[in-house]
Amino acid sequence: MLRFTIRRLIELVLVFFGVTFAIYAAVFALPGDPISSLGGDQPLSPAVVERIRDLYHLNDPLWSQYLRYLGHLLTGDLGVDFRGRSVAERLAARWPVTIRLALTAWVIQVVIGVGLGLVAGLRKNTWIDRGVLILTILIASVPIFVMAVTAQLVFGVKLSLLPIAGVSDGWPVSYLLPATVLAIYGLAAVARLTRGSVIDTMSSDFVRALWAKGLSRRRVIGVHVLRNSSIPVLTYLAIDLGALLGGAVVTEGIFNLPGVGQLLFESIRVHEGPTVVGIATALILIFLITSVIVDLLNSLLDPRIRHD
Amino acid sequence: MKRAAAALLAGTLAGSIVLAGCSGGGSGGSADGGTKSVSYAVSDPVTLNPGRQTIAFAQIKELFSSLTFIKSDGSLTYLNAESVKSTDAVHWTIKLRPNWTFHNGEKVTAESYVKAWDTVAYGPNAWENSGQLVNIAGYDALNPAKGKPTTTKLSGLKVVDDLTFTVTLKSADGQFPTQLSQAQSGFFPMPEAAYKDLEGFAKKPIGNGPFEMVDAYTENEPMTVKRYDAYQGPKPTVDEIVFKPYTDMTTAYTDVQAGSTDILFVPASRMAQVKKDFGDRAYVFQGLGMNYLGLPLWDKRYQDIRVRQAISMAIDRQAVSNVIYGGIWEPATALTPPGEPGTPVGLCGDLCKFNPTKAKQLLAEAGGFTGKMEIRYPGGSGLDDLYNAYANQLRQNLGIKDVTATPTTDFPEFQKLRNDKNLSGPYFSRWGALYASQQNTLRSFYTKAGGCVNCIPYYTPQIEQLIAKADAEVDPQKAIQGYVDVQKAILKDFPAPPMFFEKYAYATSDRIAKLAEGAGSLELENTTLADS
Repeated sequence: MLRFTIRRLIELVLVFFGVTFAIYAAVFALPGDPISSLGGDQPLSPAVVERIRDLYHLNDPLWSQYLRYLGHLLTGDLGVDFRGRSVAERLAARWPVTIRLALTAWVIQVVIGVGLGLVAGLRKNTWIDRGVLILTILIASVPIFVMAVTAQLVFGVKLSLLPIAGVSDGWPVSYLLPATVLAIYGLAAVARLTRGSVIDTMSSDFVRALWAKGLSRRRVIGVHVLRNSSIPVLTYLAIDLGALLGGAVVTEGIFNLPGVGQLLFESIRVHEGPTVVGIATALILIFLITSVIVDLLNSLLDPRIRHD
Repeated sequence: MKRAAAALLAGTLAGSIVLAGCSGGGSGGSADGGTKSVSYAVSDPVTLNPGRQTIAFAQIKELFSSLTFIKSDGSLTYLNAESVKSTDAVHWTIKLRPNWTFHNGEKVTAESYVKAWDTVAYGPNAWENSGQLVNIAGYDALNPAKGKPTTTKLSGLKVVDDLTFTVTLKSADGQFPTQLSQAQSGFFPMPEAAYKDLEGFAKKPIGNGPFEMVDAYTENEPMTVKRYDAYQGPKPTVDEIVFKPYTDMTTAYTDVQAGSTDILFVPASRMAQVKKDFGDRAYVFQGLGMNYLGLPLWDKRYQDIRVRQAISMAIDRQAVSNVIYGGIWEPATALTPPGEPGTPVGLCGDLCKFNPTKAKQLLAEAGGFTGKMEIRYPGGSGLDDLYNAYANQLRQNLGIKDVTATPTTDFPEFQKLRNDKNLSGPYFSRWGALYASQQNTLRSFYTKAGGCVNCIPYYTPQIEQLIAKADAEVDPQKAIQGYVDVQKAILKDFPAPPMFFEKYAYATSDRIAKLAEGAGSLELENTTLADS
């Protein structure tokens, strides 16, 4: 177990360096000068552009820029953007929004997805089972922006039930609509996985033995079936949470939620190298850490899975 | 365990729907206590320092008052200045109105302006609006090509007394008073308090305008400004303005429909439907934006003037506007927008009128067109429909088979391609003037120093001389005549077809009774509320 953990951590460090460099180089390679378009419509005078380029060392070669960035990064300094704003501060202001959105969406997915899957699995091949299948696939096949804009028009403009943009009404009101829209797209997968897993477990020998022992239905399903069929679902859900935390660019954009995904999108648009790498680094760390946790969790839940 | 969690969640969901039900609807509403408050959708301002802002025009205009002010009809009036006078267009004397104060009580003096301009122009500061001051004597000394400047002051500025200062320009410029108007924030004054903490000033500027900040601005949060009681200028009709940041203006559009935000500048992608969605709550104001279709004058195929004229006459501007912009944009008939006084509307004549037969004939006379016509424009800016429409029109009406419209990845890439002359076909070319004078548009498009990075690179000594001649006129009427002469001279060469006079569309919630038009914008502070 210890060796496994250490190996995973070393991998993590390697991936970290590789990916930060790749992203840094990618932003660097984008055509066009981010500084001369800082002024939007209005051109900046060439002298101003030159000064700002000097200020951010944009005239240095790529490797030297990257090493300087890395040096700062290792001391915990994410640097500043081309407007002189601290990247760490901007990120810090946006994490709460993304985390709230991700967790809300995730909880909706867990409750509704697992619930639907469980019902479908226990009543396999009935009209309920088929209904769940058709319903989840049907919603998941609508493009997310169509779903989002429709939700805004129905719940915001027509019914005036929920705010459709921004976070000024706080959690949960401001997050309900975007989180639900976001959650819908994971529902089908969670429900299908749960269903399949439940059906497998129900037909396994140990469950038959439990029935034979005369255990109550509640106990068999509530404790034994649920626990044993949760492994694949749990893996999926953990990875899904990582993905949700990566910021939902489209959803955050349409609902005007100032989250990490939105910042990433804007930063790429204006070639804000330091901000892009800062966000990407954080996201990679989240992803790597969740996958390590999933591996560890799996081996705890199922003693048959051992890594060393 | 699982059940408990589910129950908890169900409870929260139910609870929040009830809550939402209560707050739904009028969140932007003014308190019944009588504070007249309006909210306006904006993009994130980044900085509120007038010397540095490039996208915070709406906010800055309420927090600061400029020396001169351009009204919606294009006429020039004085605001913080009592007079801006010159006899030779080189030496200017600016007298300030007495008793004006900044929001912190500091007096607005000649020094407030001179020191601010020195700071904006000082090269090492690299302030974004520094370029607006380029024609003041001494600017070059503050911006040497190499090394640090040896002085920190513009030699062209002299404080005469508390309320008077003089400005010497590098070259005669009769439009100088117009340049001192509300959108040229590089010319705004700064209080002494600002220099102690410029970072703080950028977040909570202390201005001389009709409104003052309530709290410091925080990124992505609504920003409120309230009326400044000691303001000496015209009294605004509203007491409070809330600027609400949106990253996507189509979301803001829906939010105004839902009534959560009061006023919005309608994004191009919603122009076609705004009249249907908002009826008489949609407004169309004169803009200062000018749209051209740039042509690659460095490419042999475009060097015959008849080809350029054919392209102009092959595009049915009105039809394009009807389909894409709901007929709001006006087909261009001159080289500058009509919001700029004296613009010779109609000057372009037949060359700007749709005439496919004549267009085909001209193209044939010029020897036809060989190869592919590749139109390029900056991607991600909502311009796809417009440029695809151009491509379709040119394909159908000129009979050129292979016409494509391709976006670049983003604006920086477009700029680079354009600056390197790496474009082989027609391209995006637009300028939004910051002050209502033909000078601004003509300079940007047709002089090298104008520096419009995406515009037509058509620079000839003759045109530059004609522009300089018009600039030198102190008398506004003579200046206008001069700029009209410039336009006539350019049209003889027809470097690129003018396409549209931009109009700006605004939409409001039902809380607003009337919007007040401004020069190339709206006068947010003079909005009339429905319940007042």
